[in-house]
Amino acid sequence: MKGKKHTQRRWGSGIYLGVILALMYIPIVLVIVYSFNKQKISAVWGGFSLDWYRVLFHDQQMMGALWNSLKLGISSCLISGVIGTLGAVGMTKGRFRTAGAIESIATLPIMIPEIILGIAFLTFFSFVGIPYGMPAMIIGHCTFCIPYIFINVRTRLLGIDPSIEEAARDLGAGGGRVFWDITLPLIAPGILSGMLLAFAMSLDDVIISFFLAGPTSTTLPVRVYSQLKTAVTPEINALCTLTMGVTFCIVIVSQILGSNKFKRNRREEL
Amino acid sequence: MKKLLVGFMIAAMAMTLLVGCGSAGDSSQPSTNNGAEGKTDEEKVLNIFTWATYFPDDILKSFTEETGIAINYSNFSTNEEMLSKLETVQGGEYDIVLASDYIVKMAIDKGLVKKLDKAQIPNYDNLDPSYLGNYFDPDNEYTVPYGVGTPLIVYDPSRVDVEIKGYADLWNPALKDSLVLVNDARNILGITLKTMGKSLNEEDSAVLEEAKSKLMELKDNVRVLDYDTPYNKLLEGEATVGYMFTSQAATCLTVNPDLKVVYPEEGLGFGIDAIFTPSNAPHEKNAHAFLNYILQGEVAADIYPQILYLCPNKAAYEFLPEEYTSNSAINIPEENRKDVEFIQVISNEASDLYNSIWTEFVQAVG
Repeated sequence: MKGKKHTQRRWGSGIYLGVILALMYIPIVLVIVYSFNKQKISAVWGGFSLDWYRVLFHDQQMMGALWNSLKLGISSCLISGVIGTLGAVGMTKGRFRTAGAIESIATLPIMIPEIILGIAFLTFFSFVGIPYGMPAMIIGHCTFCIPYIFINVRTRLLGIDPSIEEAARDLGAGGGRVFWDITLPLIAPGILSGMLLAFAMSLDDVIISFFLAGPTSTTLPVRVYSQLKTAVTPEINALCTLTMGVTFCIVIVSQILGSNKFKRNRREEL
Repeated sequence: MKKLLVGFMIAAMAMTLLVGCGSAGDSSQPSTNNGAEGKTDEEKVLNIFTWATYFPDDILKSFTEETGIAINYSNFSTNEEMLSKLETVQGGEYDIVLASDYIVKMAIDKGLVKKLDKAQIPNYDNLDPSYLGNYFDPDNEYTVPYGVGTPLIVYDPSRVDVEIKGYADLWNPALKDSLVLVNDARNILGITLKTMGKSLNEEDSAVLEEAKSKLMELKDNVRVLDYDTPYNKLLEGEATVGYMFTSQAATCLTVNPDLKVVYPEEGLGFGIDAIFTPSNAPHEKNAHAFLNYILQGEVAADIYPQILYLCPNKAAYEFLPEEYTSNSAINIPEENRKDVEFIQVISNEASDLYNSIWTEFVQAVG
């Protein structure tokens, strides 16, 4: 009786998992398949071809937009990585009376709808006289990237046993030494995952990027969205396929590195 | 672990600095020559602002090769986005803007558009006069017409038994659940008004209420509403009759030449995407050089088969390839082109009414 119930439950969860995975991955697989479509229109299969990859690599506009996106994503996630980490550490160390309020304000930008943030930046920057273009876009992206790192690092910090840092101080380490040797290594995974999230968000953004862009700084999502007017070709599929390939590689490499380190640590413990 | 982290942090800082400097350099570049005095020796840069790929890549490349003027191509996805951006930069930053007729009119009314210096564009004379002197620029002072289009009905004759001659036929009960229409209030309410013998720009609320009940009768025939890719629905066979924009209809025919195009007997809707130079364009001379370049007959003949819009350049006619001129969504007979009407800007109240009728219709279609 008990066993039957158990297998039933296993079946149920298997089907559930299968449906979820199918819903998540079938569209992605279709995108990949159609990147090899000879036909310009995704509705019709015109035979296998690598033409669209060739087109993609020769498309200066597209490559320029990709480069802009990477520049924007990397610089805003690095800058907000530093600011967000410092903020979270400071917030945890110094015990302000207004800490709660400051924390809510600091995380607000991810709650505000993008369009409002975009228009706010547009008016503010033109009022202050900051020219539109890459620097303005980086400032804009940092504001919504910082909270991701802040939240991640703060959670991590709260989970650290304060006696570890106290022990370091007992042994004579100064404030700076404690931060570099003890705190930073402990919160590093939080910083990294926060920065990855921030990078993904920055890469995704259309509205703020559009409002703050200058004539030379169109980003990839803005360009792809704009291409709907003249039809999106399998060139975009090819681009998606390559991006996903790179992402999978990064994930696999980080998994391998992570598991090696785990083994090594285990061995050291033994 | 510690060394790795320190190294990482330093690398991060260095990267930030580098990228910061790099981009600061980029952005200062176009602004160095903002003053009008730089007119004689303008830097070799042209800032274009329009939909991605609307100016084909190869045209831009050959322009740069020929003139040495580098092109920065930035994009918007809707006309309204373009206007709000152009307003915040006060008609500066961009040299060439290409957008739809009604928004060009609004930009002109707001003083964001500069008059063209025709002396610098001798090829302006290549334009077919039948596409000039339109409501947004009656004296041809501000704009160069670029993409000309008219939404058309396209259908699959092998799967449709009734004869389709005009908009009114879309209401035929035999077409139940088989239409794909562009998801656009002004266009679809517009053709409803046309079947009633009214204008596409009707503002009378009583007439619009009447059009609303007429439109609601269409809902059972509509299979799907799709603004950007209606041709997919028709080519996949999900729908058998479509009402869509020129380039979309032309795309259908290039993939499946057996589809049939209808020039509705009630008269065609019409639209022109036009190029203008903003009032404070930093590289005015380069902008004129670009306009003159794309208005050459042979260059234009290279553009239109790629974008699949109607070509307003009469010097290009002799060079246009046969596969383009034989596309019946492009090759619209002279007599049909006489009876056209633009969708223009209407009063705010009327516009609100269009939108509320449309929202109700979209919900009814489901």
